Amino acid sequence: MSLRARLLLSVSTSVAVTVILVTWTVSTSARRAFAALDTQRTAALVAQFRREFAAEGDRVAAQVERIAASDAAIRMAADILRSHGDYGVYVNEATAVAPAYGVELLDFVAPDGTIVSSAQWPARFGYRHAWISRMAASRLQRGADLRAIELPHGYELGLVAIRSVGAGERSLFIVGGRRLDQQFLRTLVLSPGMRVMLYRNVEPELSKHQLIDASGEVRNAAPLEPLIARIRQSGREAAEEVQWPDGPETIDGIPLTGSDGAPLGVLLVASSGRELAALVRRIRWSGFGFALVGIVFGVVVSYVVASRVTRPVERLAVAARSVAGGDWEVRIDDVAATAEIRELTRAFQSMTGQLVEQRERLLQAERVAAWRELARRLAHELKNPLFPLRLTIDNLRRARALPAREFDEVFDESLSTLGTGLVNLNTVISRFSDFSRMPPPHFARTSVNDLVEERLQLFRAQLQAPGRPLITLVTDLDGSLGTVEADPDQLGRAVQNLLLNAIDAMPAGGELAVRTRGAADTVRIIVADTGTGLTDEERRRLFTPYYTTKQHGTGLGLAIVQSVVADHRGRIWVESEAGRGTTFHVELPRERRS
Amino acid sequence: MCLLATAHAARPRYGGMLTIETQAAIQSLDPMSVAADAPERALRARVTPLTFESLVAVDVDGGLRPMLALTWDRDSRAVRWRFRLRPAVKLHDGSTLSASAVAAAVAAQERAWHVGSTSDAVVIETDRPHPDLPWELADTRFAIAVRTATGALQGSGGFRVDKIEARRLVLRAFDDHWAGRPFVDSVQIEEDRSLTDQLSSVELGRADLVAVRPTDVRRVAQRGLRTAVSRPLDVLAIVFEPHRSGPIDEPVRLTIASSIDRAALASVLLQRQAEPALAVLPPWLSGYGAVFATYSPAPLAPAAIAALPIERRSFILRVEAADAVANEIGARVAVNAREAGVTITVQAPAGLAPRPDARLVRVKLEATTPDRALAGALMGFGPRVVALAGGLPTPGAGVPLDLVLGKELALLERQVIIPLVHVREVYALGERVESWNGPVVLGSGAWNLSNVWIRNEPAMKTARP
Repeated sequence: MSLRARLLLSVSTSVAVTVILVTWTVSTSARRAFAALDTQRTAALVAQFRREFAAEGDRVAAQVERIAASDAAIRMAADILRSHGDYGVYVNEATAVAPAYGVELLDFVAPDGTIVSSAQWPARFGYRHAWISRMAASRLQRGADLRAIELPHGYELGLVAIRSVGAGERSLFIVGGRRLDQQFLRTLVLSPGMRVMLYRNVEPELSKHQLIDASGEVRNAAPLEPLIARIRQSGREAAEEVQWPDGPETIDGIPLTGSDGAPLGVLLVASSGRELAALVRRIRWSGFGFALVGIVFGVVVSYVVASRVTRPVERLAVAARSVAGGDWEVRIDDVAATAEIRELTRAFQSMTGQLVEQRERLLQAERVAAWRELARRLAHELKNPLFPLRLTIDNLRRARALPAREFDEVFDESLSTLGTGLVNLNTVISRFSDFSRMPPPHFARTSVNDLVEERLQLFRAQLQAPGRPLITLVTDLDGSLGTVEADPDQLGRAVQNLLLNAIDAMPAGGELAVRTRGAADTVRIIVADTGTGLTDEERRRLFTPYYTTKQHGTGLGLAIVQSVVADHRGRIWVESEAGRGTTFHVELPRERRS
Repeated sequence: MCLLATAHAARPRYGGMLTIETQAAIQSLDPMSVAADAPERALRARVTPLTFESLVAVDVDGGLRPMLALTWDRDSRAVRWRFRLRPAVKLHDGSTLSASAVAAAVAAQERAWHVGSTSDAVVIETDRPHPDLPWELADTRFAIAVRTATGALQGSGGFRVDKIEARRLVLRAFDDHWAGRPFVDSVQIEEDRSLTDQLSSVELGRADLVAVRPTDVRRVAQRGLRTAVSRPLDVLAIVFEPHRSGPIDEPVRLTIASSIDRAALASVLLQRQAEPALAVLPPWLSGYGAVFATYSPAPLAPAAIAALPIERRSFILRVEAADAVANEIGARVAVNAREAGVTITVQAPAGLAPRPDARLVRVKLEATTPDRALAGALMGFGPRVVALAGGLPTPGAGVPLDLVLGKELALLERQVIIPLVHVREVYALGERVESWNGPVVLGSGAWNLSNVWIRNEPAMKTARP
């Protein structure tokens, strides 16, 4: 992994982890704070409900007290107690009295429990409230109680006070109060995010129609039913978190009991978790935002920092590749980097400087060695023809003492020898001259197979000459080889030199194998012999001009081959094993390379 | 003071204007014209006799009394009737009423009859026996209105038409009335007044005679005002719609009928201004009320009711939204039915509403013979009720009483109609209204205004002894 990637990863990870930790910490703190606040708000609302409930009970009791003390009630009581059941004239009395005293519920009830007049259900007259006649006198003077009120369309919950007018057992009962309905719930002051609901437990089975809030019947009551059912059954407070589509809501349920202790209602105080969820959501998104900004910042910082560190390193790497490619002159300037990188750059510069210096020294040494070799070869080549010339001249000098006829014979023979020697000298000099004057290649489309076959043809007669050690020629030319762009003369000369070199390598006979192979972009010429093979020294110096292991070689054959191959942008290499022969591979591009 | 008041009450005087307020309005007093609706028909039945008299009329006791005809007789088959006219009866234009004019007026109303006249009598011949013909002639339809050459209608009643204005009718006392001039100079009828407004008017002294709801009787009494009532003339009944009138719903209908506490309706809700109704016709009108006194249908047991599907034991009862008393009665019926296990939802729609299963209907009965009264009541209940009677003959005028009773029993057995109460017409009288001889409102509901005089008015004229 690159330094830049590591830097990016580590900076981004650090930022992300930090943001996640901060987000989690803030979210947790917010949850705890909200939970505490929620508990306080619920407790405050329940306390407020109890206060309102008690105050409303006192108000109802006072209102019923005033009705009982009114002239109308006293007159009606006297009349009813006297008339013994003729209540007809008072059937609408409750309807008239109730609004005047601000009560919603009002029944005038005869001593036997018969409803004389009912404000909330006028048509109910004549029926009986049996429970009233059974009620203990002590309870008549109490405050208001919670009670299930029967109405034309079912039961409702009412806050009811009972008073009597009259004396002893013959009393007119006044049952008055108000509904515990949405109007009552509207009187409660709610904190934002809170709502209060009331379940009126006035039916044998759990009924969703009995669950109301300040705006009326609660529409989606199903999620609340399990909590209500639990409180109905246990008669104890309970709480539950309900998940709504728009967020969670914590519901606290408080049972409301009647005078006999039976649960007549359930007060549900709901505290919305939507604000908390929204806050946590905001924190989370803020965390994501900060993490994103941090990561972007990290990327930028990483890029800048990494650039300061890696750019010089990359330049060093490019320079090192250039050096490896042979360009030892490469320089790295204007490096703005840390001290370590600058030290590394200086070391690289020093290294390339030393390399160039050493290469120069090596070249100088090789040049001197080459000149020495050339001098040695020249000396050797020239010394061989010069020696017979000197001997001939010495013989000619000594022959001056011989008779003329013999001198003439010697003179003619010496002239012939001198001529031959001079020819040999000229030949040696021409060879060196040819090597030094290698012309540039003239490229043309050339069939390698034809060229190889043509050059082989020059050697077939020699190979088959009688008395000569047998060299078997094996050819394996790739028919699909096609043509290459090459100088046919120079390439033919190179092939010829390879064949000659192979033949020379097998003085005792053997097998000469010539093969051609084609590839997509290249062709290959393989010349193999079964001679004695090459030593490491020989292989290393094989293409050095004027280096030869042969008695009469000039050491230029393979040098010329290498020069031709190089001019064709090809390559040549050799495989050899001592005692098993040598194989030369020449690989040429099909097209000219620039 | 008490003696003075008594002396005033005992000595009527002439003069003054009697103001009456009514809920309905009269478009025309012409007996030949047809009333637009039931309220106008009922009001015309009260006002027309004041101006246009008939040959006979229903008296206080429910019998017949002579009006323009002094006596009447018939042949043995009751197909030929002769009515001897009161002599020298003056019309409002001062001319004398002739027998031929009376015959023409009667013939114009009933062209199937052969109506002729002599010098002092009108002879009516019918194609079939008509034993109750005088009762039919007592109907305001047969009030005698004589059209003069100018096209004006002339009557012979105690009051003549003085002004007809929008929502107001003024009648002037007819000095030459054969029974003597009425005490008051004029009667002003203010029409199209709600019952609440009428009650306020009589309390404030702006009206002398107004109709009141039975539920307001106590209030009227508390104000120190008097009331005048008729015999029970309205029948309130539950009429089931055809889709709930079949045999399948009959047990539930029976249960509803038997659950209703009619006595409470009459005594409490209607403040004793009504009587429990076991039949369509009230006993005073039919005479066979005792037959129904012992009738007690067997309702379904509560368990059997509870076992029925909810839609079978649920009914929608439609009541008139404007009729407060009907609303209260509907609510009470619902309470009674609820105790029996039947759910009745009272519906008082102001506009469109679901189809009801039954209606609470108030029908005004005519104080005439039972056959006519029942026929009129069934018409008031609507033609569908007649159809629901399912092949029973509709009693027409003149059918025997046993047929009328049979029809009532058949209706009762099927419980297509459940009679609830018979309600009186109740009027509140202003403080200054006095009556010389007889009640202000007769048992038949007719206004007996000729006997009414106004107290505390300046004594313009001296009462005749």
